[in-house]
Formats: sequence, structure tokens, C-alpha cells
Amino acid sequence: MTDTATFDGNGHRALAGRQPDWSFRYWIIAPAILLMLAIGLFPLIYALIVSFQGLTMLDNDTSFQGFANYAQLFKDLRLWQSLAHTLLITVIALPVELVLGLAMAYLFLERLPGRQLFVSLLVMPCVISPIVAGATWRLMFDNRYGPINQILGWFAGHPVPALWTVNPKLVYPAIVFCEIWQWTPFMFLILLAALSNVDKSQLEAAEIDGAGFWRVFRRIVLPAIWPVMAVALLIRGLDLVRIFDIIWALTSGGPGTMTETISIYTYVQGFRQFEVSYTAAMAFLVIVILTVIVIAVIRRTGLVK
Amino acid sequence: MTALARHQPPLLRRAGVRLGLRYAVAVALTAIFVFPVYWLFIISFKTPDEIFAFPPVWYPESLQLANYAVLFKDGDAVTVGNSLILAGVSTVIAMVLGTMGAYSLVRFRTGGEHLAVWIISQRMMPPIAIVFPIFLLYVFLGWVDTYQGLIILYTAFSLPYVIWMMRGYIEDIPIELEESALVDGCTRWQVLWKVVFPMARSGLFATAVFTFVFAWNDFLFALVLTRTEVTTYTVQVTHYFGGQSNFWAKIAAMSVLGTVPVFFTVATLQRYLVRSISMGAVKG
Amino acid sequence: MHFSKFIPLAVASAMAFGAAASAWAESAAERAVNEAKKYAGTTITIVWEAGLQSLDPLNFSGPKWKELTGIDVKVVEVSTAEMFTKIMQDYRSGASAYDALNVIPAWMPDLAQAGALEVLDPYVDKYGFRDELQNIAPTYRDNQMMVDGKIYGFPDDGDVFLMYYRKDIFGDANLQAEYKAQTGNDLKVPTTWADFDSVGQFLTDKLAPNTYGAAFFRQPPYTMYMFQERFRVEGGKFFDADTMKATINSDIGVQVLTAMRDENKFMPPGVETFGFVENLAAFLQGQTAMTISWPPYGRWAAGYGTDEAVLSWVPKSTIAGKVGYALPPGGHPELAAGFALSVSSTSKNKDAAYLFIQWLNSEDVSLQRVQLPYALRDPFRNSHFTSPEYLAKWPDAGAYLAALQEGSKTGLLDLSLLQTDKYEEVLRQAISKLWAGDDPKAILDTAAAEWDAITAKIGVDKQKAVYGSWAAKSGAYPKM
Repeated sequence: MTDTATFDGNGHRALAGRQPDWSFRYWIIAPAILLMLAIGLFPLIYALIVSFQGLTMLDNDTSFQGFANYAQLFKDLRLWQSLAHTLLITVIALPVELVLGLAMAYLFLERLPGRQLFVSLLVMPCVISPIVAGATWRLMFDNRYGPINQILGWFAGHPVPALWTVNPKLVYPAIVFCEIWQWTPFMFLILLAALSNVDKSQLEAAEIDGAGFWRVFRRIVLPAIWPVMAVALLIRGLDLVRIFDIIWALTSGGPGTMTETISIYTYVQGFRQFEVSYTAAMAFLVIVILTVIVIAVIRRTGLVK
Repeated sequence: MTALARHQPPLLRRAGVRLGLRYAVAVALTAIFVFPVYWLFIISFKTPDEIFAFPPVWYPESLQLANYAVLFKDGDAVTVGNSLILAGVSTVIAMVLGTMGAYSLVRFRTGGEHLAVWIISQRMMPPIAIVFPIFLLYVFLGWVDTYQGLIILYTAFSLPYVIWMMRGYIEDIPIELEESALVDGCTRWQVLWKVVFPMARSGLFATAVFTFVFAWNDFLFALVLTRTEVTTYTVQVTHYFGGQSNFWAKIAAMSVLGTVPVFFTVATLQRYLVRSISMGAVKG
Repeated sequence: MHFSKFIPLAVASAMAFGAAASAWAESAAERAVNEAKKYAGTTITIVWEAGLQSLDPLNFSGPKWKELTGIDVKVVEVSTAEMFTKIMQDYRSGASAYDALNVIPAWMPDLAQAGALEVLDPYVDKYGFRDELQNIAPTYRDNQMMVDGKIYGFPDDGDVFLMYYRKDIFGDANLQAEYKAQTGNDLKVPTTWADFDSVGQFLTDKLAPNTYGAAFFRQPPYTMYMFQERFRVEGGKFFDADTMKATINSDIGVQVLTAMRDENKFMPPGVETFGFVENLAAFLQGQTAMTISWPPYGRWAAGYGTDEAVLSWVPKSTIAGKVGYALPPGGHPELAAGFALSVSSTSKNKDAAYLFIQWLNSEDVSLQRVQLPYALRDPFRNSHFTSPEYLAKWPDAGAYLAALQEGSKTGLLDLSLLQTDKYEEVLRQAISKLWAGDDPKAILDTAAAEWDAITAKIGVDKQKAVYGSWAAKSGAYPKM
């Protein structure tokens, strides 16, 4: 009646079950896959084909250009700089969002009067359209009309004419700060849900044994929330690579191209200047890089069993 | 004291101190996170001179609701409704299809690593590169500027997120619960609906919130795939930023209109965040 | 001879005479309406800049056209930043969703080259619009209408940079005396940039922090236009016409950038981040004595139209009646941006679309449109500048219109080549680097090198031809 139980490397078991409905597993995932294929397949193929052609604003040339576009990619300094900028922002923002989100989740885990209100308010930064959030921060960072410099002035005792969107030393702090502000609530809510699911009986057992906070965290809590946490980090990481609105609103990639990330560069090239083929090649480069990274991460952390 | 509380450092074990300290930190944190939202909020009540006042004005003279009235009169508020429909419907469909898919991946390891990686690779595509081909596809299908077009699009793009997030939450559910339900005579569908979905409630909630948010915040696809019939709130808001104008009052009022429904939804559905069913009490 | 034989002849002659007479007497607007009536019941779609601009077709011209001809006008509002993209995407995809278009003249070479715009000459002749086209103010008419001698759009917006200044401050006797004592010159509105620096610094020294000598919208997209203007006014040329090498890094270019950076010192702190509205607010609230901007500043400073609900976002003017109008230093203002009305080459209703834009652009209708209190369309026809109705709008309207008319004679055209956006992007980045503190010479050397790279990629000969025809226009370089 039951299948033989199969175990994976982590000791997790696949669901034992009855033989006749082996196709259940395919039926329940079929609609999702079909939908993703229907919408996702054509653009992918189109972009792939186009990346080997010579489509620009002026030329509707669909002849085969070989690897010309891809060769161009490697000579394009601006492209690699934008990737470096993207990496910089990701590497700083992601850990901060994780640690801060986790700390906040712990803070709100136990009962607290008005917790519902707090949590609802804390989710607000993600809900505001990123374009509006960017514009609001732009206004808030304004030297004359914004409160940020005003507040800084109170602390410093004298006017602080910091030009957050223009001064090369301040643009990255401003951008990273806004990004962390907007998406830490994401990690917070996800981790709150995960932490609240941690098996209480295990925690009680550890408490009886007299274990300290960090031991309990490492041995019981972390493994329990790891599946969710890892996915959240993966999703957040991928989204950070695509960061656009905040930076566009604050600096438009400036000064010069100092804060230009890969999505800003692709936007300017592909959207404004219609370098259709070149942008498609860029997109595939990004996909390849990301796929390599993601597969490496998945294998190392055993996310997929 | 709760189990989780017990493994805190000794100093903080006194209940009163803990609560007070937690409260203070909670208030400070919320103030920092909410301040920009507050700033945007009061702009919707300010006069232009207050918006561009030096030094900045922290509290408007009077709470004029004229800006909101104008949005309704001009029909701009409809765009908030459009966004709600598009994001809401696509979230519901994506949550159902995606959670089912996640269950398949976790419990049956359908497709192994390859399928899972393919699914997440959908989220790696830089949107700019695919927006034009999708536009072409939709021109061919006649779906440009339609509700169904964008709903299907958002659903398709939300699925990778939902599947991967719910994978994590479903893994947290002890497999014995499902097996005992099967032994008790449930069909697989019943196990899915009666055991898995309820047990994963907090995960469903957290995932649904952000699935909705991602669809809600979309700008690029809404820009390219709509013209006049299905304008979303994100696109409409950008109309207020002109080269020679800046309707801050409308921008702020629209954003408030768009944020308030989500705020209330999150507030009311929050009780699903913490799983209240404990291990022993499961019956099919 | 039967008398009745003459009747057909008489009738025919009368009809011919009558037809000829009506061809002369009927205005272009009337003709457009009459010809368009046969398309009653159809819908034409027009792309228009979102927000304030769209109120014109939504509240005024669209409904009026429907009333006169029975044709529905569907307005597709698009943010300026996305207009070019949406037009190109629609064209390239074959969707054919748009009939008429608003196009920024600098885009015309690219759009015409791509084939997205309909050549309008046949329609202009068919519906008799040549005469009225001639009466568009010279600089717009000769510079923003044609590519390679063919008409692709009707200039529909008199965008030009004017200088606005505080008459009361410049007329203050004490200040005048002190300035004279200090420099030996009279305190008056500067006509050269050297004067501007001197006056601006002086006023800031005397009146700050309540009032500063001047402020500009220093954000890169706007400053790019100001650089284009000032560079040419000081004698600079964008390219060497023979080799097509960029010459923006000449001494003139470096001097202009350096002067711009130094001027920020007597402007309000943080002026580098000023956009259109920040600059407007500062001026309307009396914090600056001089500024340069598009025509709406002039109307709004006088309080014209600002009690309209849609203009409620404009800060209240505290300086109504104190505003003077002049050309910017150098006397050749930039015709920054602007709009022209075109017809999409893939439209399925070309005649109906054409008739709509002829009607919009005609003498009668355009005069009404530029006077709409909430309008962003600025006067662009000779008749607009002398219209008695307009002159009566506010006390200083006469000076305002006179300044605009001067600008329309001496104005400078935006640089417009193939892939103009790429060149403009380089300039925008150069400005942002300037505010970041980089060295002007280094900035311009890099910019020139980037321009050369872009030209090389497009094809030097191809671009040289386009540049040649641009440079031949009357508004390309000031007559020195």
C-alpha cells in the first residue's frame, strides 16, 4: 500500500503514499508550469534570437550578426562598472536587511500591546510604490525643503548642507539607506512568520537543559527557519540585482555613471535608445551570471533536496 | 515566561524591564520606518507653500481634503481600483497554483533540481529585456490594455516567488501530520486542503502580502502594456511628475489611497501570522 | 440663342467663383472642420504629454472637435520620459494604435529616419495650410517643422528660455547707487554673462539670506539645455563640420562649465539639486532676484491662471506685479524642448488625424489654446504675440509677449541629430560630474571622446549629413 520511504542527504523523507495517484504530483504543479511557460518562453526565445541580430533604433536589420553583440559586451567598460556597482549595493544591503529583519522579528515575536498596529505600520515602506518612495526620499533629502538635513542640523548645532543626491561621497550611503529602509520589512515579516512556527516543545526541552541563547539559536532556531530564510535571501538578493526605482529617483545613475546599476544601464540602452539586440545580449549575460551563482548557492546550502 | 524568552540574557529576564525596553525599541524603529510614509501622508494635506517651505513644515496648517476630492472627481482614483483588481486577483491565483506547485516540489521532489532552478530563473530575467517581446505577444493576442492580460502576466511572474517561498514553509510542516491523515483515509487533495494549507497559514499570509506588493508596485509592464483603459496607479502617479510640473498633492493623496487598503488588510489578517494550531491537535 | 443655354455656364462660373472665393476666405480651421465632418463617428487617438499638458485635449480641444465634427478624440497620456519609447514601440510592433502624435522636435530626425512619422506635405497642400504655416514665428517655423526639407510636424509650443527678474530690486535706488559706486556700471538686467556674474554676486552680498542674486534649475536634464545655449552664445560649436569631431571641449566649453560652477556660490545653498518646481518656488516666494526658465513662470508669477484648481500645486506668488521679462544674457535663448504635432505613419485614419492637428495648429484655435489659464502651450505664432486679448490678461502681459517675440526671432534650436538622446545623455552626465566636483576640462574631454565614439558607431558620414542640415537651420548657431 505504501511506497518505500526514500530519504535524502538531510534525512528528510519524501511523502509516503498510495501508488494509484502517482500522477497527483504532476497535476498539482501543471497549471503553474504551463502559465510560466506560456508567458516566459516566447520572450526568452525572442531575446535569444534578437541578441544575434543587429537591431538598433535606426536599423531594423535582422540578419545574423554572429557573436558581435556578445563580443561587444566584454569590451564595454560601462557594463562591468554597472555590475560592480550592483554588487556593491547587494553585498552591503543584503546582510544588513537580514540581521535587522531578524532582530525585529525577535522583537515582535512575543506578545506586545498593539503588536498588530506596529507590524502593519512596519510593512508600509514596501507597499508604497518604489517610484513614489524614491521621489519622497528625494524631497526629504533636499537641502532646503527636506527634513533630513534639518534634523542633522539639530544634532550638529549648525546647518548641514549635505547634498545627498549630488555629492559623490554621499550618494551611495543615501541609496543604500533608502533600500534598507524599504525592504527590511520584507525580511522582518517573512522571518516573523518563520520564527513563530518554530517547534515550541523543542525550545522548552532546551530551556530545561539550561542552554544559553546562542546555543539554542544555532542548534534549534536556525535549522528550523533556515529553509524560509534561505529562500528569502535568495529572492531578496535577486531583487537587489534588479534595483532601479530608488536610484533612478535619487540620482538617475549619477554623478556621471557612478551609481549606475545594471538595470539602469539596460533601461537607458534598451528602453530609451533602442539598442534592442545589444540589450538582449546584456540580459543573457546577466541571466548566465545569476544562474551560475544561484546553482552554486543552492548546491552549497542544500536548498533543493 | 515563554519558551523563547527563556533563552535571553539574564538581565532582561525581569518582565517589566523587558516589556518596557521592547516597547521603547519598537516605537523608535516604527518611527524611523514610518517617518517617510508620514511625510508623504502629510504632503497630501499641505498647501504648495508648505510643501516647498523653508524651513520644512512638519505639520500642516489645516487638514484639507480637497486633494482627495479632486482625485475622485477627475477619475484618477479609478487607477487605484485597477491596481487593486490586478494585484489582488493575480495574488489569489498565484497563491493557489503556487502553493500546490510548491507542495509537489517538496513532498514529491518533482523535477528535482532542474525544475526548481528553472522556476527561480524566471525571476532572473531583467524585465527590460522581455517587456518588448511580451508587448509583441500581447499585440498578437489582442491583450494590450486589458485586465486579463495583466492579471495573467502578474500571476505568471508571481509564481516563482510563491513556489519558492512556500517550499520553505511547507518543509517546516512535520510530515507525520500528513501521513497520519492519509492513514486515516484522506485523499491527497484533502491532505492538501485540510492539513497543509491550514498548517502553512502564517507562511501563506507572509507570502501573499509580498506577492500582492510586487504586483502592486510594478511599473514597467503596466507602462508598456496599457494605454488608456487599464491604467494602474503606479503609471498614473508618474503622470504627476512633469518636466514643468509636480502635482505633489495628487502624488501624495494617490499614494495614501493606495496604501490604506493594504494597511487594513495586513492589520486584519495578522492573526494568521502566528500558527496557533499545536502539534497534537490534528484531525482530517 | 436661348437664354437658358447660359444658365449652366452661369451656374458653373458662379460655382467656380464661389469655390475659389471660399478657398481664399475660409480659414484653415474652418476647412479642417468641414473636411473632417465626413469622418464623423470615428475615433482618433492622440499621444500627449501626461498631466497638465493633457488638459488641453481632454477639457478643451477634444470636446470642441467632437462637437464640431462628430469625431471622438482619445487622449493617450504618457510621461515625457516615456513618450519617445512608446511611439517607437507602437511603430515597431505594428500595433498601429496611435493616429496623431506629440513629438519633441529634437526627436524628429530619429523618428523620421525610422519611418514612424507621416510626411505631411501632401496633406498640407490638399487642405490648404501653407499660408497659415508661414505665420508661425520664424524660429519655430524654420527649425522645428522639417527634416530634409519635408514637413514632419507642426510646431505647436513656443518653449523658450526667458529671464525673469525682480523689477523692484533692480529699481531700488539704494542698490543702484551702491552698485554704481562699486563697479561704475548701472544696475540693470544683465545682457552678458559677465554682467550676470557681477550683478548676481552683488545682490547676494547685499540681500542674502532673504534673497539671493539668482537661482537656476541645476539638475542635469535642465542644465543641459542651458549649457547648449550658453556654449553657443559664447561662440562655441558642437562639432567640426568637416571632420565631425566633437569640439565641446574647446576653451569656450571649459570656460562655460567653470563659470556655471562658480556661479553656484552666490546662489541658494543646494542649488545643484534644484529642479523645475524648486526653482519656481524659490522665485515665487521672493528668494531670488533673477532666474531663467520656460514661459509658464512668467504667467504664474503674475498670478495668471494660478487660481485654477489644476494649478493649485504652484506655490502662491508673492511677487505679482514685480516681475520683469528679458532675454537671457547673450540674447539668444534656447528653444528648449518644445512640441510639434505629427501623424503616425501607421495610422489607419491619417486624414482624420491630419485634419485634427491642422485644426489645433490653426491661427484661430491655437490662439485660444495658448490662452487657456492652465495651458502649458506657449505662444508660437506671430499673431499670438500681438493679440489684444492676450495683452489684456495682466498688466505686464505686453512686456511678456514682447520678450517672447524677441526670443522667437533670436532663439537657438536644441541639438538634433541621429540618436540625439545618446549625445544628450553624455551632456547630462557631464553636468552631474560638474556638481560632483570634477575638473571641467577633464569632464569635457571625456564628453567629447564619448561623442566621437557615438558618431563613429552611427557612421561619420551619415551623421555628418544630418548635422549639416541641422547646422544650416537659422536657429542652429547665433549670427555673431
